[in-house]
Amino acid sequence: MATATTPSRRKSRLNRQGRAAHVFMLPWLVGLVGITAVPTLASLYLAFTDYNVLSTPEFIGLANFERMFADERFWQSVRVTLTYVLVSVPLQLAFALLLALILDRGMRGLTFYRSAFYLPSLLGSSVAVAVLWRELFGHSGLVNSALALVGIEGSSWLQNPQTALGTLVVLNVWTFGSPMVIFLAGLRQIPEELYESARVDGASVLRQFGSITVPLLTPIIFFNLILQTIGAFQAFTQAHVVSGGSGGPVDSTLFYTLYIYQQGFTAFDMGYASALAWVLLVFIGVMTAGHFLLSKYWVFYGD
Amino acid sequence: MREMSRRNMLKFAAVAGMAGTAAACSGVGGGSGGGGGGGTDAGGSATLRYAWWGNNVRQENYTNALNAFMEDHPEITIETEFAEYTAFQERMTTQMAARNVPDLFWVPSAQVMTYYANGLFHDLDGVGTLDLSDYSDADIDGLRLDGVHNTMALGIFVPVVRYNATMAEEDGVTLPEGEDWSWDGFTEFAIDYAANNPNGRWAVNYGPDHDLTLEAWLRQRGEQLWTEDGQIGFTADGIASWLDFWENLRLAGAAPSLSEQDGVGADWSLIGERVLSYFGNSNHIIDDAQFFPEATFLLRNMPVAADATAGHPYLYTPRLAIYGDIDEANLEAAGTLLNYSANNSDMLRITGLTMGAPVNPRVAEEVTEFASPDEQQMLDAVSHDRALERNPRYEAPAGSSTWRTILTRVSEQVALEQSTTVDAATAMIAELQAAIERAA
Amino acid sequence: MTTQTVTPTAPPTGAAAASTTRRRPRRRGRSVARHAGLGVFVAFMLYPLVWMVTSAFTPESEILTGPLIPEEFTLENFINGWNSLTRPFWVFYGNSFVVTISSIVGNLFSCSLTAYALARLTFKARNVYFGIVLVSVMLPMHVLVIPQYIIFSQFDLVNTFVPLVLPKFLATDAFFIFLMVQFIRGIPRELDQAAAIDGAGPFRTFWYVIFPLMRPALVTTTIFTFIWTWNDFFTPLIYLTDQSVFTVPVALSSMVDAESNSGIGMLLAMSVLSLIPIMLFFAFAQKYLIRGITTTGLKG
Repeated sequence: MATATTPSRRKSRLNRQGRAAHVFMLPWLVGLVGITAVPTLASLYLAFTDYNVLSTPEFIGLANFERMFADERFWQSVRVTLTYVLVSVPLQLAFALLLALILDRGMRGLTFYRSAFYLPSLLGSSVAVAVLWRELFGHSGLVNSALALVGIEGSSWLQNPQTALGTLVVLNVWTFGSPMVIFLAGLRQIPEELYESARVDGASVLRQFGSITVPLLTPIIFFNLILQTIGAFQAFTQAHVVSGGSGGPVDSTLFYTLYIYQQGFTAFDMGYASALAWVLLVFIGVMTAGHFLLSKYWVFYGD
Repeated sequence: MREMSRRNMLKFAAVAGMAGTAAACSGVGGGSGGGGGGGTDAGGSATLRYAWWGNNVRQENYTNALNAFMEDHPEITIETEFAEYTAFQERMTTQMAARNVPDLFWVPSAQVMTYYANGLFHDLDGVGTLDLSDYSDADIDGLRLDGVHNTMALGIFVPVVRYNATMAEEDGVTLPEGEDWSWDGFTEFAIDYAANNPNGRWAVNYGPDHDLTLEAWLRQRGEQLWTEDGQIGFTADGIASWLDFWENLRLAGAAPSLSEQDGVGADWSLIGERVLSYFGNSNHIIDDAQFFPEATFLLRNMPVAADATAGHPYLYTPRLAIYGDIDEANLEAAGTLLNYSANNSDMLRITGLTMGAPVNPRVAEEVTEFASPDEQQMLDAVSHDRALERNPRYEAPAGSSTWRTILTRVSEQVALEQSTTVDAATAMIAELQAAIERAA
Repeated sequence: MTTQTVTPTAPPTGAAAASTTRRRPRRRGRSVARHAGLGVFVAFMLYPLVWMVTSAFTPESEILTGPLIPEEFTLENFINGWNSLTRPFWVFYGNSFVVTISSIVGNLFSCSLTAYALARLTFKARNVYFGIVLVSVMLPMHVLVIPQYIIFSQFDLVNTFVPLVLPKFLATDAFFIFLMVQFIRGIPRELDQAAAIDGAGPFRTFWYVIFPLMRPALVTTTIFTFIWTWNDFFTPLIYLTDQSVFTVPVALSSMVDAESNSGIGMLLAMSVLSLIPIMLFFAFAQKYLIRGITTTGLKG
């Protein structure tokens, strides 16, 4: 029955699956309509209004979008965010994948290493990070103390606009434990039989890696790439915590979402903030669609 | 927005059903007292929401004070809503959008007129339980916005120079006195001190971003922060001269660099042991002095320029308001609590004077009985300025709520030598002007 | 970017080889080197955390200026911090646990169901739904906060955990749907087809075949939900105003005021304490990451 081929039976199977699918998706559909859709559509509408959070939104057409072109801080936040995404995502994923591969194969102290690498991610973006980062990158922090040993006198890395963003990249790479865990989970899912039969066939370790591990891991690599990229575009808390919400010094860590937040919550300009948010959404959307198109050429699915 | 969510009520009813189920199966069952809005019942009892900001010390003190109030007024229940300063504002913004605002709340300084323009303050004339008999007309006039009396003061701050007397003694220096206590006199002293003290200390923090001292500077020049009609009251020259004052100190080594003091807003715990003096609010001595208990801190009122405009002193009053759309049945109770906050030294005995010197002259007298030495310093500094002739002062207009962030940014630009003081000042005014026009 | 991220997979030959063959003496040298390398790396990564722990035991005034190992050991930060918000800190722990555990249950339940439908069932507009899932991962939360708050406050659900937990039961963390879809798509189709030939419908196939095989994805979801919920600050800050329902991050944020500078010692001490549950949880949960499809999958 499952392999039915006649059109009518096939259609009924589709219907049955369609009904079942909607039952499976019921919680999500309810949440979509009740919790996600309304605020999303509201923010879309607000993007075309002048809305100060307190009074009634006033429709102003495309004025918010026009304003962005002349808004220097908007462009600054775009520059900061793109730099951050392009540098921190590849670095973080490279670390995560490399260490996942090293840790995937049994070795002594495996549990310890895995936990140790994961620990920084557990700290998340707690307020304590601000204190930690100052201890590392501040004027008399660890980095400068180390530099002093070799006779270099450094100044605060956090207060220098040339290096402040770099410290946030380090913060992101430091938390490579999260994608690493996803890689590890993906590696665990590769059937051991495949390796066994490959060994029976005399395939070298390198060969096994190239023809089993990498292809079967591509959905997870793809997943991590998409999610870390989206996550980096939306990076907020790190900069908020480390710069105290200002994006300073001199806007050098003004992430795009931090700018949205400043406009919406500090300057009471929720209309402009919504317009900014939708520009980001469209940008990430186009980029993700591009990733999906490209994925046909390199991502391998078991189905 | 409210309309929109109402229209979706039906759809959302399904969600609400799920809410119950989910809560039940996850065992959260609304497990919280209160659930929001204040309410009254026939017995005349009231539930009030009271929102304030600070650190955990202030949280604890005010919670205790409010508990004491509830013991005296069993008919009134207070639900406290506390957060640190930034988080407080995030939460308030959200609550205002939903018109789900606490009944009594502290007002962040940059948002006074924004809140006022949107009807967040209740008119206090005619709140029978609020006793204003101790106040002079001038006191009340000082609190009015557009002629309406709709907030009370939590206290009074004035800008001060706080200095470490223990350090001054160690290094054998005394701050300039009398006529020499001018900005130029201070600069001269500071540069000399930094160059000659044996401990490698700085004379002062690098503080161009501090709002109260900037306001003092501007007013001495005959400028002000904001005008009566809600416009910018300062010129690019005024800001540039202020930035020059600080650059002069920094370049001469009298004040630390941004790197050395960890940002424009200096971290007191980091530099407290390495600077002789600090430009700040009169009330900050109470928390900051405790950080270095072995040292004695003293306050000086602002230096005064020889050609300072008459009437330049001013008092800054952090405000407490009753929500404009409060359930009218709760208004009397809210007035009772407001009265306790503004006109009762019992409350200040518990909370301490971190929110400044009382405006109420009777209470100001009473608190001297229990004020700590640091608090007494603060009270004296406020009394000094309060006794002087003062021109009126106006609050930040709607749209200018980010002005302190902008000031911080231009201060950074100048300190990092990315911009001249004049360019920075001009850019600041242009950005602020645009924001004020947008909000108009 | 795509190619950049894939190329660093330079095969760690040593690692792979050591595992597939029994440890032999001539490999010992390489193993020592690897441990040394990893050890240095671990030390480097953990330094900030070590500093945090030692500072928590340092008198507050010496934290920023003193040496790494405190000259004077004190419990003062813990004692002050524990009682700092007029009620003992375990109240906030309790709240955080209730919210976190509920969120995990909610995400596992709702996201796995949705992911299965999107990954395996054939129906009209499937791609549209999947597109919506992706889009909902992309919208920045800050413009959604206020409309969502309005919805929940209309139902008088402020100061309850419902606004924090209910969305998880309704699969609004679309991230995890996407994660699970990717994992399900990696499970060989033959397994479902075999179940279908045995006469199993979608529900039975999901429950007896796919769900057990998804274990790595489920464990990952559990770990991530735990950490994100435990650390989440913005949402609880807005919905929870009554201190009796504060979660740990909201309580922590109250310790250091942007306007004043004290409280770092307490902040660090309580941050260390708040890390302990996540560390224990991770140490526990990661055991379930280690078994793959061959052992658990086919037995389940």
